[in-house]
Amino acid sequence: MQPTQRGVSRREFVKAAVAIGGSAALSACLERESPDLATGDPSSVPDRQHAWNEALPRDDHGNVRIPRHHALLLVEYSETGVPDDDAREAVEAAFRSLERAYPWSNEGLLFTAGYAPAYFDRYDADLDGVALPAPAALAPFEDPELDEPDAMIHLASDYGSVVLGAEQALMGERATLNGVDVSGFGEVFDRVDKRTGFVGDGLPAENQDVDGIPDDEPVDEDAPLFMGFESGFEKNQASEDGVAIESGPFAGGTTQHLSKIRLHLDQWYDQDSRSQRVAKMFCPAHAEDDRVEGVGENLGDDNQVGDCVDDIEADAGSHGIVGHAQKSARARDENDTPVLLRRDFDSTDDGAAGVHFLSLQSSVADFVATRAAMNGSDVSEGSSVGTRLNNGILQYMTVQRRGNYLVPPRSSRALPRPSP
Amino acid sequence: MDRSQYTRRSLLGGVAGLGATAMAGCSGLLESQAVGEPPVVEERPNAVYSPTHVEGMEMIGMTDAGDRRIGLMYSYAHRFWTMDVGDTARVSAGDADTHLMASVWDPDTGQVLPVRSGLSITIERDGQTIDERTPWTMLSQNMGFHYGDNVSLDGDGTYTVTVEAGGVGIDRLGAFADRFAEPVTAEFEWEFSRSRRNEISFRQLDGAGDPGALDPMEMKMPLSVAPAREDLPGQVVGTGETGDATLVVAVTDRGGEPYLAVAPRTPYNRYVLPAMSLSATLAREGEAVLDDSLSAAIDPELGYHYGTAVDGVDSGDELTITVDSVPQVARHEGYETAFLSMPDVELTVE
Repeated sequence: MQPTQRGVSRREFVKAAVAIGGSAALSACLERESPDLATGDPSSVPDRQHAWNEALPRDDHGNVRIPRHHALLLVEYSETGVPDDDAREAVEAAFRSLERAYPWSNEGLLFTAGYAPAYFDRYDADLDGVALPAPAALAPFEDPELDEPDAMIHLASDYGSVVLGAEQALMGERATLNGVDVSGFGEVFDRVDKRTGFVGDGLPAENQDVDGIPDDEPVDEDAPLFMGFESGFEKNQASEDGVAIESGPFAGGTTQHLSKIRLHLDQWYDQDSRSQRVAKMFCPAHAEDDRVEGVGENLGDDNQVGDCVDDIEADAGSHGIVGHAQKSARARDENDTPVLLRRDFDSTDDGAAGVHFLSLQSSVADFVATRAAMNGSDVSEGSSVGTRLNNGILQYMTVQRRGNYLVPPRSSRALPRPSP
Repeated sequence: MDRSQYTRRSLLGGVAGLGATAMAGCSGLLESQAVGEPPVVEERPNAVYSPTHVEGMEMIGMTDAGDRRIGLMYSYAHRFWTMDVGDTARVSAGDADTHLMASVWDPDTGQVLPVRSGLSITIERDGQTIDERTPWTMLSQNMGFHYGDNVSLDGDGTYTVTVEAGGVGIDRLGAFADRFAEPVTAEFEWEFSRSRRNEISFRQLDGAGDPGALDPMEMKMPLSVAPAREDLPGQVVGTGETGDATLVVAVTDRGGEPYLAVAPRTPYNRYVLPAMSLSATLAREGEAVLDDSLSAAIDPELGYHYGTAVDGVDSGDELTITVDSVPQVARHEGYETAFLSMPDVELTVE
């Protein structure tokens, strides 16, 4: 890590630049990061927008490592009524130009475009073959604002400058990117919200000077996320095939849920013991048997809570504590496979520790079922486990916003009709 | 029992006034004041015991919120113990400014609702969120059950505290059946200053570590006191002791069917003991006629208790109450060594 003359580390600077946006920040950002990247080739980009894993690195245990920097652009179609073909062509051209500018990889750019129920409401016809419910509160103790833009663009790269450059290209704020001529959305979309974040070893520790985290910098240098533990274990993730819509005009697409979550980690770091943190994140047996070393890299490619799942009622009854992973692992399909492909990341938006919990699943109903499992209401009602206290990590988070999206296959990613 | 009755500030002033020669002999006192609380008693019984000190408390306000009333109070930040896996974990006051407490009760019966509701607190100042958290469910000797935590503020000033209590997540019986289901919110304006906080009484006590408990505080709001044995409805069929708690067992009528209610309470102050997991077996002439876990419930007459439907209970039946989980509430000083090891209670129905 190279401290700059102003004492700001390069990573901190890039994070700040992604968050601030703006061309001045970008050019400063590009000067500092200056990755020497090849250009891209649209003909090599997969048919599924969510097909990222082949293009991503894996760690020593085989866990996919998603890109380190992320931006989420919530956009609204600028006209009333349904989009015409000119708008559709402009949006597709904008996406194509991003694919030409950067390779489809973690070092280049990965992105998806998803469309909200509010977008499809513009059409008289029903969405064909996909259930896409409006977002809703998913626990009795939450009261989120509901995101209902037309579309959400997820941009991701290991380079913050690439994420920022791609956003500026889409919004028409620059004409070339990585030496390639690019076109943006033009007048088609207005940006109504932007969220940013990061994930990966070191980044949470470097960005922990925010509300919601004690001042004594408790986040482990090796932690990929603010709560201090590994996540995204290969065996606890759905596959890209598993989350794909199987049939109908959107076959090969997927559904996307995005929640904006505020973290309150003062109690987590100042008051909870290590044993409590392990029990609440994983399961009480992991704490009792000291199964988690450091941030949990020793767990390999599996959080190993499988055996804890059967013990959940016993743990609730005898310990009065159940773990987050232990509860969530109950949401599996008929083949005993996880149903969510998590691509969540942390955030310092609004100067506060947060999570943009982005997950892909073949149906939004899978997300709703997983969240119900995570609420653990069935477990707490018959035991001494609280509604939020000692009930996984519910105590440490507030869901502020929720949104649902359909991510069509690449062939219909530009302003899709309800039956493309 | 009282050694002294000073506010913390006047005690500090008094020590400073003694001068350097007197200081040497006072180092223990000075040190204990510097950290805010005397050290924890070294030899603590596995039972309710007298704490090292007693703190007063100031009301911030009381307000109606839907069908409930919510009170908000504060005192000095202080140590407490949360429930860990197979143990307790001590939480120190650290550099927190205050211990903030909330209580929720039924304004009609005055019954405190020590129940699963996911209560959360947001503290704002000038529109900026200073803190947002889910406080611990807690038990203290002078207040009984409440929600509380140590929090850091942003200096002296006017704060807005929003308390959101979720719907009650346990069985609601009798006149409570149709109540307390919806989340409710209460908002309080709080004028906080360190100097006013330091006016709150703070007394060190003799006899710390001895079996015993502080008296319940005299307050404008109700405390989580369980009904006396003689006030329980139905027939009290037995009483047992475990882990320094008393379990009173009553058989009442619920919708025309017999209902077995177990009402655990603390010694001395008779506070209810929430967030336990209990199960019961009932044997008649060697045959099991009941083997079931009990559900936490609130009832206007029984209070907070754990119960289940039962075909009937006869004199001479052997009843075994098993504590599957001890009370999963954080404990203030003097309760942290009690209610941890709670063997089965076996009794013969009277």
